[in-house]
Amino acid sequence: MKPGYEKIKRMTPAMRIIHWVNVVSILAAVITGLYIAHPYYQSFIADPAVDKYVMAWNRWIHFIGAILLDVTSVAVAYLYFFSRFEKPYKKLVPNARNVTEFKEVLINLLTLNRRKNFDSSHSDSFNVVYFTIMHLMLILMLLTGLQMYVHGLASGESSIGAWWPWMLHMTTDWTLWVFGGNMGVRYVHHLMMWWIVAWVMFHVYYQIWRTIFWQEGDIAIAFGGSKFKKSSETE
Amino acid sequence: MAERREAFKMLFSANSAKVETNKGDAYYDRLFQQCRARLDELKASQPLQAIDFHEILSDEGYDRREFMKWASAATAMLMLPPMFTPLVAEAAELMTRVPVIWLELQDCAGNSEALLRSDGPKIDEILLDIISLEFHETLMAAAGHQADAQLEDAMHAFKGKYLLFVEGAIPMGMEGQYGTIGASGETFHEHLVRVAADAAAVVAVGSCATYGGIPAAAPNPTEAVGVMDVLKGKPIINIPACPANPANMVGVILHFVLTGQVPELDSLLRPKFAFGYRIHDNCERRAHFDAGEFVEEWGDEGAKNNFCLYKMGCKGPMTFNNCSIVRYNEGVNWPIGVGRGCIGCSEPDFWDKYAYERPMSDANIKAPTGGVEKTVDQFGLGVLTATAVGIGIHAAASAVAGKKSDEGEAQ
Repeated sequence: MKPGYEKIKRMTPAMRIIHWVNVVSILAAVITGLYIAHPYYQSFIADPAVDKYVMAWNRWIHFIGAILLDVTSVAVAYLYFFSRFEKPYKKLVPNARNVTEFKEVLINLLTLNRRKNFDSSHSDSFNVVYFTIMHLMLILMLLTGLQMYVHGLASGESSIGAWWPWMLHMTTDWTLWVFGGNMGVRYVHHLMMWWIVAWVMFHVYYQIWRTIFWQEGDIAIAFGGSKFKKSSETE
Repeated sequence: MAERREAFKMLFSANSAKVETNKGDAYYDRLFQQCRARLDELKASQPLQAIDFHEILSDEGYDRREFMKWASAATAMLMLPPMFTPLVAEAAELMTRVPVIWLELQDCAGNSEALLRSDGPKIDEILLDIISLEFHETLMAAAGHQADAQLEDAMHAFKGKYLLFVEGAIPMGMEGQYGTIGASGETFHEHLVRVAADAAAVVAVGSCATYGGIPAAAPNPTEAVGVMDVLKGKPIINIPACPANPANMVGVILHFVLTGQVPELDSLLRPKFAFGYRIHDNCERRAHFDAGEFVEEWGDEGAKNNFCLYKMGCKGPMTFNNCSIVRYNEGVNWPIGVGRGCIGCSEPDFWDKYAYERPMSDANIKAPTGGVEKTVDQFGLGVLTATAVGIGIHAAASAVAGKKSDEGEAQ
């Protein structure tokens, strides 16, 4: 370790597993989702239709990706409030301290690191707000996606019982009224994907930028779970 | 060996194959009694038309066996167990006792056409002939004041008993002046409300009467709406599609004759026996969808081999209707059968939201503010471009400015 620096734990193994599961799931869901919306490659498989299942596999992967994202999101929602490591919700409360910190992190980014008036050794308000936005987008994806899914269960039955379509209708039918019928739901589901991709773009850029400008090894957080900080500055 | 086979069967047979959709003997027995009583009541009343249904059938070349085959099929369509077949047959014979008033508003008469046109009428169409159609602008001989008088008579004579079929949208713009009735100048809206007041139930036939349909397509100059948007406090049954399938009209009337009630409806007031599932779920080309075999352009190899039409803009996966099972023109064919996709004609706002002949992601969606028309992907790539430009500017500025920091001045 570089002298004058010390290691700071930023992500528990559970958080890192969640992070990479999300990365893979989002990637898989985008690739397969685009195919479902408009099949953009042809399967030149000289088999009869019954043996190919290209669209069916795309849908299967899409749903598995969605299920993984849903499970990790539930875990994240729990950790927001009950994590024994850091409780992110504390950074969401719009009190003076958090608002100031949010502003300072944003100013740090906009002034190209000319000003750094916040403690970067722990997760800051800007970070938590930014991640909360992604999870809200994922919730919308979940609800619009399940609404489309339940169209195929119109009999009110499913292989796991009638409670499942019933629950889906109960929790997602409002999307029909809000977004203008099931075409509107499809549109929102598709458009939200682009916003999530844009979110990912900035997220990756910001981690790289932080690593370069802060010189604290931020990029390592998602891999090894820790970063570094000048000893003189940590209390 | 047998045990192992059984174990494999357990392992590989889906639970969904074992779903119990039967509502139970008690339910069906009760329903049977209810229908029996209702039919007896109808039988005791006077027929409104002096015609013998079976005579007409044999004139058209149908024997008893063919009629019973039809009754079995109709029973199945209404999702009733086979023991109801004789009741359905009886209900068909009693159709002469159902008075029907048919209104045409902002429409093209396509639904009237759908129930009239047939090459050698099938039993469904004969049934639609023998219901006591008391008033129908397009079909009746009377015109002008005589027609008006006929309507008043029918409304008075069958007060509270008649089924009101409505075809066409209701124009609400310009205080309803886009559509008025004859010499009285009564607007379509007033007319509908007045005639519906004494109806037993209102059946909105076709997409115009159901949701406004084509007249309500953007920019909707006449401010057209559907029946359910303007009529309150009446049982309304929607039979959307453009045109509505006569099989579904017969189904609804049969159900009404059988039970005296409206069939089970979905959230858009459509009978579940016809609109309880998507076209996609029972499509003859569904295997090609799952296989990823799509028609790429009109007339290609895929088209010749009946591949899935999803990439040509088929809206089967978003459209609830039974076309893929009952088809049109007495089961001769249907849109996907002739090799062109479904345009979603039984869904709300179908002209604007479904009928653009390409997958939704390729369709130009109008921004709510008007003006801008972009596909969702064009818009999305715009979002990504803006993000990339922002990142690019920031990265370039960072590179130029270099790594400087005044860290630690304030904590």
